[in-house]
Amino acid sequence: MNQPSMGRSVQSLERESRRSRRLRRIVTLSVGYVLLLLLALFMMGPFLWLLSVSLMPGKNVFAFPPPIFPTFVKLTNYTEVWGFINFPKYIGNTLIITALGLALNLALSLTTAYPLAKMRFKGRSLVFAILVSTMIIPSSTALVVHYLTIGWFGLIGSYIGVVLPSAVSVFNIFLMRQTFMGVPDDIRDSGKIDGASEVRIFLRLMVPMVKPGIAVILLLEFMAYWNNFLWPIVVLDDPGKYPLAAALTYLNGQFAYNFGWIAAGTILSVLPIILVFLFTQRYYMEGISGAVKG
Amino acid sequence: MRRRTLASDALPAWSFMAPGLLVIGVFVLFPILYSIPLALTNYSVLGETDFVGLDNFVKAFKDDSFIASLRNSMTYVIVVPVLQLLSILMAILVNSRIPGIKAFRAAYYIPVVTSMVAVALMWNWLLSQNGLVNYILLELGIIHEKIGWLSTSSTALYVLMFITLWKGLGYYMMLYLAGLQAIPTDLYEAAIVDGASAAQRVRHITIPLLRPYVFFCSLISLMGAIRVFDEMFVLTNGGPGNATLTSSLYIYQEGITKLNYGYASALGLIVSVIVGVVSIVVFRVNQKGGVNPY
Repeated sequence: MNQPSMGRSVQSLERESRRSRRLRRIVTLSVGYVLLLLLALFMMGPFLWLLSVSLMPGKNVFAFPPPIFPTFVKLTNYTEVWGFINFPKYIGNTLIITALGLALNLALSLTTAYPLAKMRFKGRSLVFAILVSTMIIPSSTALVVHYLTIGWFGLIGSYIGVVLPSAVSVFNIFLMRQTFMGVPDDIRDSGKIDGASEVRIFLRLMVPMVKPGIAVILLLEFMAYWNNFLWPIVVLDDPGKYPLAAALTYLNGQFAYNFGWIAAGTILSVLPIILVFLFTQRYYMEGISGAVKG
Repeated sequence: MRRRTLASDALPAWSFMAPGLLVIGVFVLFPILYSIPLALTNYSVLGETDFVGLDNFVKAFKDDSFIASLRNSMTYVIVVPVLQLLSILMAILVNSRIPGIKAFRAAYYIPVVTSMVAVALMWNWLLSQNGLVNYILLELGIIHEKIGWLSTSSTALYVLMFITLWKGLGYYMMLYLAGLQAIPTDLYEAAIVDGASAAQRVRHITIPLLRPYVFFCSLISLMGAIRVFDEMFVLTNGGPGNATLTSSLYIYQEGITKLNYGYASALGLIVSVIVGVVSIVVFRVNQKGGVNPY
């Protein structure tokens, strides 16, 4: 007699718990999205506000109440800042410095890491120990000594002087060594049996095997060189040679009154890096999380 | 056989490494070593260079600006626990597979890839007397009169910490996310089967397995905080007064602006010793927990 009603009650209980579980899931999900959106507003808000200022020529950012949302949209700030302060020249400067830095970093970290990973020779562990120790000992005066050294080489004011101190980093060497260690020894041996020279083995057989490492270095260094402003300011005596990030500090001083120009210039300078990041996210994330394991 | 390869690899190995090691030698090792003799001289752009013994060090500890800068650098360490805790919470928040989560992760990362110059410019406007931050805080009734956040001695250093925090959150979030995703899911499943609550799972699985990441991130964040430079260089130049003068900025001002190479080297050595001691202490504390980062 009681059996069916019990069955029903168990069923309805089950249905109820399923419903409440779904309800709970919806609540957690919405709380999650609200948190995510608030956080996104906090992280992206300043950029969106700057974009909004850059699209409204003549608006004073210090007006009270300050402008928040674009009430009108005009691109004159962009066209003006592009021409008046010779934006293409600074982009060109940045590209030269970045290309030089990338080429040197890639070549030097590949050639230095390869023997450390794949060759047997006396002193290998010593080289390795010295490299590790430089990562632990901090150098707070490096900037001063670099400036003196670049001066002795007669490279003050030159782009070579800008990139030389950061032409290779211990971090990149370790990263590249890690990648080379993943390449099987057989590949090198087969090249030797075929009588190929060391250079040929390196260029034809080994380098193509470490493309993921190359991608990570290129990305991290691209960001580093694009954003670098301090060392170029120290080394380059002519502001006309400045890369974009350094020029921005200089322009900020010169055109402090023209908010729209500065906002537009800043947006233009950060746009390339944000785009590169968005399109290469996957490699980039692998690179930085590899830093923990390394 | 082994001996033969050992002998045959030495020449190619050293030839490959020579350019890279040369750059490391000149720009990484040499600055560390050269700053020691340099610190014992009065080398500067003016006058003759003499050996002055420990005079620079005696002068440093009587130099009010240097003492203030050390105090500010140490105070800056406050940002580390806050930054790490919030990054871990953010990583937990974005460690899910709900739709759109990748876009949120990317959005939180954008401040990391943006140059400090651009970041400084935005926040400088936002935080000024008539800026948006004051407007919002006034509207919400949190403050009752406008505050010049960066021009007030009592707030300036903390506001810079806030900018460090804002720019760094995404970076550490991604590192912790990598850590969270490395935790095998069957551990959680087993814990659920055993009837562990969500809090217990965090306490007994997430926290212990995230420990190496917490150690690594705290260490790099700590080193970064003690040697913080960019934020004050672009935003306050140490002011108002010495309120945001950090040791790295003071070394820069002495060495690069005033060209007192000898004195700047001595200051750099003092800071290096402090940073070295701090990192050894952190390593020791951590070794008790049995975690080895390298």
